[in-house]
Amino acid sequence: MNEMGVTTNSAFLCLFTSASAFGSPIVQMAQQTVNTAIDSLSAALKSNIIPNQEYFLQGSILDSSVEVLLHRLRGLCDNVDTTLETFHDHEMCFSIRGPNNAQPALQLRVRRSLDHNGMPMQLRYIGQPEIGDKSRPTVLRNSIDIGTSNTVVEFLTELGCRKDFEYLAKGYMFRKGRMKITVFKVFKIDETRKMSGGAFESLTALTHSYLVELSVLAPSGQDAIADDMRCFAEQLRPLVQLEKIDYKRLVHGP
Amino acid sequence: MGVTILLSYPVPENKTGPQTAELLIKRIGALGAVQSGQFLVDCETFSSGPTMGGPPRTVHVLHNSEQPAAVFALLESPGPPPKTVPLVADGLFDLLMLKMSSIYASKKQTRMEARGTRFEIADFLVKIGTVTMSSNFKGVLVEVEYRPCFIAGNCWELMREFMQSFLGSVVQNTPPPYFQVHNRLNDVYQPLDTIQQYLDHFASYRKVAGL
Repeated sequence: MNEMGVTTNSAFLCLFTSASAFGSPIVQMAQQTVNTAIDSLSAALKSNIIPNQEYFLQGSILDSSVEVLLHRLRGLCDNVDTTLETFHDHEMCFSIRGPNNAQPALQLRVRRSLDHNGMPMQLRYIGQPEIGDKSRPTVLRNSIDIGTSNTVVEFLTELGCRKDFEYLAKGYMFRKGRMKITVFKVFKIDETRKMSGGAFESLTALTHSYLVELSVLAPSGQDAIADDMRCFAEQLRPLVQLEKIDYKRLVHGP
Repeated sequence: MGVTILLSYPVPENKTGPQTAELLIKRIGALGAVQSGQFLVDCETFSSGPTMGGPPRTVHVLHNSEQPAAVFALLESPGPPPKTVPLVADGLFDLLMLKMSSIYASKKQTRMEARGTRFEIADFLVKIGTVTMSSNFKGVLVEVEYRPCFIAGNCWELMREFMQSFLGSVVQNTPPPYFQVHNRLNDVYQPLDTIQQYLDHFASYRKVAGL
């Protein structure tokens, strides 16, 4: 199962019904009009049904303790009827510079599943995270998730994007209601050992720990979900402390 | 999706565009077609700014009401070598292009639209539409889809006969230029092929001076 799982976009997708559904039935069919895609998108944006905000918390756990965490998550989460859902994804991060070099570059991520080759690739735009103050339980950031065909890497390269880095993520995915919990290990890609067809022969783990992420994708203004996330995160203490990580403090950039 | 052929129907000198479309609608109606809604194919063009370096790159973003949840993007890169990279994505791709508006600017005046009625007749789907660019009429496009088949080479003769029955000699005896490239007659037909045909026609309409 791909890490992105099943996102609840159904409310948004129902706007895209077939052409003949638009227009009043009383009006003659010759006068029915089809809305343009841009009009539908604007209507969706106005009625605030596009899930373009991500609420998330992060933490980490050592390899030696991850089994206990997985056991606890199996007890708490919904999607563990038979076996644990695993994922093995390859993520590439691209950036494109704006006209004014002082502006931060726009970052785009492309993620593909190595276990399921036929699935669409995921193109993701992630905005700057808002840490907020103590009253805000989670980090909030703008996130646009787009499923694409497998030509997206070539498309971005020709568009002018530069590949900054890439990595492999291998781990487990859990769901509880709208929340998605992922427990995964990050692997460095050894370019010299890349096999044909996109497979990777040997993997070098970056750390001796697993990264744990708790996230929800929702339209803007649904801050109550952040409180539910904090309550859930409390249930995983003291195994893993899920909290807001401020990247600006970690990065010692120019 | 079945094999789809897109044809530009030349407007006779003594008629206007909408009159030509009406005439075609009458002819297809006489064959027994049933009207089933409207259709819309639109194309917006984005160009890279001068700061990108090198010759400008163009992204054409198209939507087809037949595939309402998809957005088609075709990137024309001058190269070398010059190539066109296609992308099929979710509806939210438009939001991403809006985010990139500082890098790729939209030329609103070159936005093209093909709008008209859909007809169903037996296994065929016929769409007769008028093409406009910023409310200026550009031409009449007829789209014919043969739903049961998705290999163009297998049904070209059948489609040619059907199209000639209501479009007359406008239909050539050889497959359209789009299908004569590579091995397209024997490839599985995809919705992206319809979009590429629309883009080719839109490009030729753009070159023609305003009508």
